[in-house]
Amino acid sequence: MTGYWGGVVWGLGAGVLVGISTILGVWGERKVAGHIQKRYGPNTAPVFGIFQLVYDLLKLLTKEDIHPKQARRGLFNIAPLFMTTPIISSLVIIPFAAGWAPLDTSIGILFFLAVPSISVLGVLFAGWSQRNTYASLGGLRGAAQMISYEVPRSLSVLAVVMLAGTMQPVTLMGEWRIWWLPVTLIAFVVYFIASIAELNRGPFDLAECDSELVGGYFTDYSGIRWAMFMMSEYGGMTAAALFGSVVFLGGTWPLSGVLGVLVLLVKTVLLVIAFMWAKWTFPRMRPDQLMATSWKVLTPMALVQIVIVGVVIAWL
Amino acid sequence: MSTVLFYLLAAVAITGAIVVISTRDVMRLVLGLGAFLLSVAGYYLFYGATFLAIAEIFIYVGGVLVLVVVAIMTVHRSVESEPVLSNRNTFGAAVVALALFGLLVFGLSGVVAPGTASVAGAGIPAVGDMLLGALLPHFEIVGGLLLAGLVAVLAITGGER
Repeated sequence: MTGYWGGVVWGLGAGVLVGISTILGVWGERKVAGHIQKRYGPNTAPVFGIFQLVYDLLKLLTKEDIHPKQARRGLFNIAPLFMTTPIISSLVIIPFAAGWAPLDTSIGILFFLAVPSISVLGVLFAGWSQRNTYASLGGLRGAAQMISYEVPRSLSVLAVVMLAGTMQPVTLMGEWRIWWLPVTLIAFVVYFIASIAELNRGPFDLAECDSELVGGYFTDYSGIRWAMFMMSEYGGMTAAALFGSVVFLGGTWPLSGVLGVLVLLVKTVLLVIAFMWAKWTFPRMRPDQLMATSWKVLTPMALVQIVIVGVVIAWL
Repeated sequence: MSTVLFYLLAAVAITGAIVVISTRDVMRLVLGLGAFLLSVAGYYLFYGATFLAIAEIFIYVGGVLVLVVVAIMTVHRSVESEPVLSNRNTFGAAVVALALFGLLVFGLSGVVAPGTASVAGAGIPAVGDMLLGALLPHFEIVGGLLLAGLVAVLAITGGER
């Protein structure tokens, strides 16, 4: 289904997907963190604590929406939208089944890399509009980090695009072969690390680290607007995992049809758990280490990967 | 429906542009500029030039606009003092702006209209063929020019250190 109303329908669908992935993600993260730290995580609520997310949601929806006195009201109110909307719209190019994506376009890969970069603006607007030091510092740190890590992330995806010879996610997933996985392994590692940094998650959570910046760029947010920042984080994590499993892990390979969709979901969930695993096992980096990792380690790695793929293509 | 979309985009773009030139509040200016740039990207999509639309979002919204906001956050210190918007050259500027507007209307009126269908050859393969084929010298020259600009900025601002 295409056209204007199709766009509206897919937009709403992706919004629901982001919402579901947020509440499941918050619950999952607490469980994963609990098991890593030798405790149980939420377990008093019914069904392995899964009802915890219902409680959390009710609490967030009914919480007072506080506006700090010194904040710039208009910008303060719309900044969370700048975070969530790009994530939701980037989901539209993901091929959820073999040979089908909501928006099947020849520049899908570029679309996925470009549109979430709007959320850098959301980080900056949020940091600026609260008019306090923690938030400003968090906003600037977040923006610097997200812009730097966009470079290795885009370069790593380029390796697979070169192998497939297309930027259309649906065609790319159809072209994917199992021997691509060892060939593009470096790119996958770079993509994984750069995605964590793009999302401002640990060990790259300098922009929102609670022990030094309270909450970083969302220090003064509460209630539903705070929930929208969480939506952008967990939705972004799901989107990055979906995109990573489509581009690097073959998406629905080796099955097709409904089973293929299940395979894609399993790969995505495993990647999301790996993201959480990284957050809860590695210590936070220093700002200079963070920048050095992006420019001196990940970018050269991605460039080496592109050379390798170039040699492989010539040798084929 | 597409006509409605065309005029909606036009309304957003013009509102954004008016906000940019009339407001004294820098952050509102950034928002207006963002609305304008996004609606320009919307126009590219409208005419089927998807690659241009994504490039616009990547470079202008995700790059230039972010740079502007970072500059404002690190430089703009006082909230109370608002910048002066006009100077003595208002009349000359108005003449130049009107002349440019007339030139654009005159030059583009036949090319772009609400009903026009998609522009042919605007996809990625066509753009790539053009840039790395017939237009390769121009592409290289523009790249060299940008590099020279970067080096010049370094030389002017902090070259001695």
